[in-house]
Amino acid sequence: MDSLYLAYRYITYNRIKTVVLVACITLIAFLPFALQLLLDESERQLMSRAVSTPLIVGAKGSALDLVMNSLYFGNERPETISMEAANRIWDSGLAMAIPMYTRFQARGFPIVGTAMDYFDFRNLRVASGRPLAVLGECVVGARAAEELNLEPGDHLISSPESLFDLAGVYPLKMKVVGIFDRTHTADDLAVFVDLKTAWVIQGLGHGHQDVIQLKDPTLVLKRSESNVAATAKLYHYTEISEKNIDSFHFHGNTEVYPISAVIAVPTDEKSGTILQGRYLSKEETQQILRPANVIDGLLQNIFRIKNVLDAVVSVVALATIMAIILVFALSLRLRQREIQTIFKIGCSRLTIAKLLAAEILIIVSSSAALCGAMLMVVHQFTHDLVRMLFIG
Amino acid sequence: MNLLLDFTQEISMFHRQSLHRVALCMAFVFIGATASTADSPLNIYVVNYPLKYFAERIGGPHVKVTFPVPADVDPVYWTPEVAEIGAYQQADLILLNGAGYAKWVGKVSLPRSRTIDTSREFKDRYLTVKETMTHSHGAKGKHAHEGPAFTTWLDLSLAAKQAEAVFGALARKRPQQKDTFMANFLSLKNDLLTLDSRIKSVVSNRNTVPMIFSHPVYEYLAKGYGLNGRSVHWEPDQEPSPGQITELSNVLEMHPAQWMIWEGPPITSATENLKTMGIRSAVFDPCGNVPPEGDFLSVMQRNVSNLEPIFR
Repeated sequence: MDSLYLAYRYITYNRIKTVVLVACITLIAFLPFALQLLLDESERQLMSRAVSTPLIVGAKGSALDLVMNSLYFGNERPETISMEAANRIWDSGLAMAIPMYTRFQARGFPIVGTAMDYFDFRNLRVASGRPLAVLGECVVGARAAEELNLEPGDHLISSPESLFDLAGVYPLKMKVVGIFDRTHTADDLAVFVDLKTAWVIQGLGHGHQDVIQLKDPTLVLKRSESNVAATAKLYHYTEISEKNIDSFHFHGNTEVYPISAVIAVPTDEKSGTILQGRYLSKEETQQILRPANVIDGLLQNIFRIKNVLDAVVSVVALATIMAIILVFALSLRLRQREIQTIFKIGCSRLTIAKLLAAEILIIVSSSAALCGAMLMVVHQFTHDLVRMLFIG
Repeated sequence: MNLLLDFTQEISMFHRQSLHRVALCMAFVFIGATASTADSPLNIYVVNYPLKYFAERIGGPHVKVTFPVPADVDPVYWTPEVAEIGAYQQADLILLNGAGYAKWVGKVSLPRSRTIDTSREFKDRYLTVKETMTHSHGAKGKHAHEGPAFTTWLDLSLAAKQAEAVFGALARKRPQQKDTFMANFLSLKNDLLTLDSRIKSVVSNRNTVPMIFSHPVYEYLAKGYGLNGRSVHWEPDQEPSPGQITELSNVLEMHPAQWMIWEGPPITSATENLKTMGIRSAVFDPCGNVPPEGDFLSVMQRNVSNLEPIFR
């Protein structure tokens, strides 16, 4: 106890040396543990979602971009395919097809246009409010709702794609009708809308004043028996309400409208294999992927980088330990007279050894405590850090 | 020592019996739950009466079909409330007519995995309506018959195909009842195709005879049976306006019809007006909503009987 007290007094007196030593040991211990924590979390996040998603169909191109966009709603934008891709899967009878359209954002959170089957597939339950029912509604993920302070009944406006897109579509004011239960997945950070609402956001569907009934001549460019051409002054609705929903319509064939991917859920393993076989021809413009394989490849790369980092950290750790030993050795030499005095006043060599051991113990314990605290902080934010570092 | 052994054996016997009882109870609960799921009728929501009739004929006691549209509303232009959309979303099966029928379907979220478009198989045979004039039915608001024609079932061979799609959906949902569904479907198909043959034989004598359709809802009937008809916009419960009479006179100049086909029994003043123009009236009820009496088949049989005088 006396040794600990004396050691404590010594290290508090030599504050700077102690702080440097504690910082060195803490950092060198913290780095590999923190890296491991992040990798474990990234593996958990990436793999759990990838494994639970049997197949993804999208345009040929980067497989990783397609998977990251479809599973984690990342910023990558794969080439779009048409709604016919989903109908093709339905018509095959081999799998359930869930179309996904992840292109737009609302206050920094991705707007995910999809079908109701997605919510059953991901087991998303509405915690408050109700599920999507009509055009122009959205259901918000738990964390997005928390961060945007949204509740059922509130409104959320889609963000314009570019501030300088003057000829672009008007942002859509969506009605928040429900908040999903927290799932600790990317779904918590998304704003879900019906696919048709996503197409309205894109401007493919819109609602406006009835052109046949227009009285204001400045709104009519040309009128014939079969056609009324309206001017740009024609008012387009920026919110879908009970009053104007009937005026909303889509131009052209919705089967050729864009989507970013289709999640295919085969009825059984055999159907999945047959379905994959149908995308093998060279002329095929779409690709079918097993997300687990793509994410596994990504993780292999991450682990390869981790091995390099581990090697670097090991060398740095060795150098640091040697430097610490040097610091202690030099310190002992500097304290030679002090040790002689302690010896002369009657302390045994064992007591002196205890004294030095106590100093090392306090420094190492302090480093361990600090490292533990820092790891706890990292652990709290691993979900966000992983999204920021690996998912984007 | 022996006493202790006996006691231990008794305890273990008691535990085993208890475990057996618990396992038996759990098995009963599981079997009961499975059986109740398998036995409980399929909850089906439909968008028109013909599909309700088909589903009930094929499914029999194994289905509970809900058609929430009020009897006095045209299902094509009906719009459900949010609670009704929720009920559709919760259904085991949602049967759609397709071909643009029930406009509200395009503006709501429905689970595709449980939604069957019964006319999708013959989408390449969809017909379109040319007229784009807006009109109103009383206080129900203006609408236009534009885009795809939707009363697909009026061609009874197509109705049989829709019934087949209903059968397929039911059989996939309840494979254990497939044989029952198949027998019911074959009986329904036979009824529909018999009626189809009857219409063909009725019209075969004089199928070029010109006629007027009071509303543009008979495209599939006309196409399916080669009828020579032109459409106007007359409502059976409304007196024709001078504009409508002028429009009809214009049509008659090019299309000298002697019969007008109505969706429902027309009011006397309308038939009197037509009589003065030398036009007689016959009712061919599309039967989109639940008929006040009879069922889909009996209404269609009556429709065919109503057509017979035209082609005699």
